[in-house]
Amino acid sequence: MRKKRLGVAVTIAAAIAFLAVARAQSDHSSAANGKSRSATNDPHDFSGVWNPAPFLQPKGEVNPLDLGGHPNPLPPFTPAGEAKYLANAKFIAAGAVLDCDPFGVSRNYFTPRPFEILLTRDRLVQHFEYYDNWREIWTDGRKIPDDVDPDFMGYSVGHWDADTFVVDSGAYNGKAFLTWQGFPISESMHQTERWQRVDSETLKIVLMFDDPVNYSKPWSITGFWKLRKDWVMDAHPCTLSAIKEYDERVNHADKLPGRDYGVPEKK
Amino acid sequence: MNRKLIKSFGLLAGLLLVCLPSFAHHGGSDYDVQHPITLKGTVTEFYWSNPHCQVFVDVKDDSGKVVNWTIETLAPAVLKRAGWSRETLHTGNQISITLVPSKKGTPVGMLRKVVLPDGSELTGGSLGEQPTQ
Repeated sequence: MRKKRLGVAVTIAAAIAFLAVARAQSDHSSAANGKSRSATNDPHDFSGVWNPAPFLQPKGEVNPLDLGGHPNPLPPFTPAGEAKYLANAKFIAAGAVLDCDPFGVSRNYFTPRPFEILLTRDRLVQHFEYYDNWREIWTDGRKIPDDVDPDFMGYSVGHWDADTFVVDSGAYNGKAFLTWQGFPISESMHQTERWQRVDSETLKIVLMFDDPVNYSKPWSITGFWKLRKDWVMDAHPCTLSAIKEYDERVNHADKLPGRDYGVPEKK
Repeated sequence: MNRKLIKSFGLLAGLLLVCLPSFAHHGGSDYDVQHPITLKGTVTEFYWSNPHCQVFVDVKDDSGKVVNWTIETLAPAVLKRAGWSRETLHTGNQISITLVPSKKGTPVGMLRKVVLPDGSELTGGSLGEQPTQ
């Protein structure tokens, strides 16, 4: 009798364990095992090419695409952050975007070009078309390692909170900007993203920046993207030769300082 | 209500189009986006390249002097989605080209639209989704 009870208990425990594992695998299946690049209604399936839809951004937030001067509102800068922003803005206005550094995560998001999401067993990979930047988001349950080397694209881990994919990232090297306007990043920044498929065609990501060096409090930007089922990526890496050539042919023609290559002759 | 919504989307789309040239590498806000101009001339070179393609066009100014304009576009990937290819323009083509000029008064600009020798039109492409009206 005791053996029979024990057998039943073991069977139930095994069934519960099996169901739990199956559920967990189901939760991660579309986000992490390369199920398909389809426009399913599965809220956990982000695969595909996503093109930004900036007109959906809520009013009242910092507008990452307002490049006609200082955006209004501005982020809640610390004095140090504001000074860095003003210096960055001056740097950018002088043509300093003529470099090939990776953009970092946030600036890639708010460059109005698409990104593709590729899914593997343990990672969600973002491929940004502009400048061919790549980002891995680990979905295997790991934490951000303490000893990881800081990088332009940081280090990212993701997990599910019901139908929201939550991405935590850190280990940024502080050399990229948050947006094209030049909002600074410090090595202390921790970024949280909450991803949701609001419908079969629309991805919403709320980015929260927590960087006490540059900002007096955490602040956020909401981005939206539309699924482009018929698009393929057409990424191009930044190359110094192409940038130099562009600088010579266009910027110098417009008497911009550009880089110090001398004044070329037009071909 | 719907009309208001459509007007708002239209305004936003317009604002976004105004912003487009700012995404050139060209020092941010150096183009006079409020005052596009249209020029007629002869293509001297069409350069298909990242980060931005370039169209060079000989245009006669008011005094009859020929000025070679440097007109940049968005990236090849964006142009392709707007119907362009590296074969869209050739040296010697007579075209009409609409651009936003440099604020410096130099013969430099950012392409908005081109009318090809066969009369067909191509835009300079769009960045990001546009609201449906």
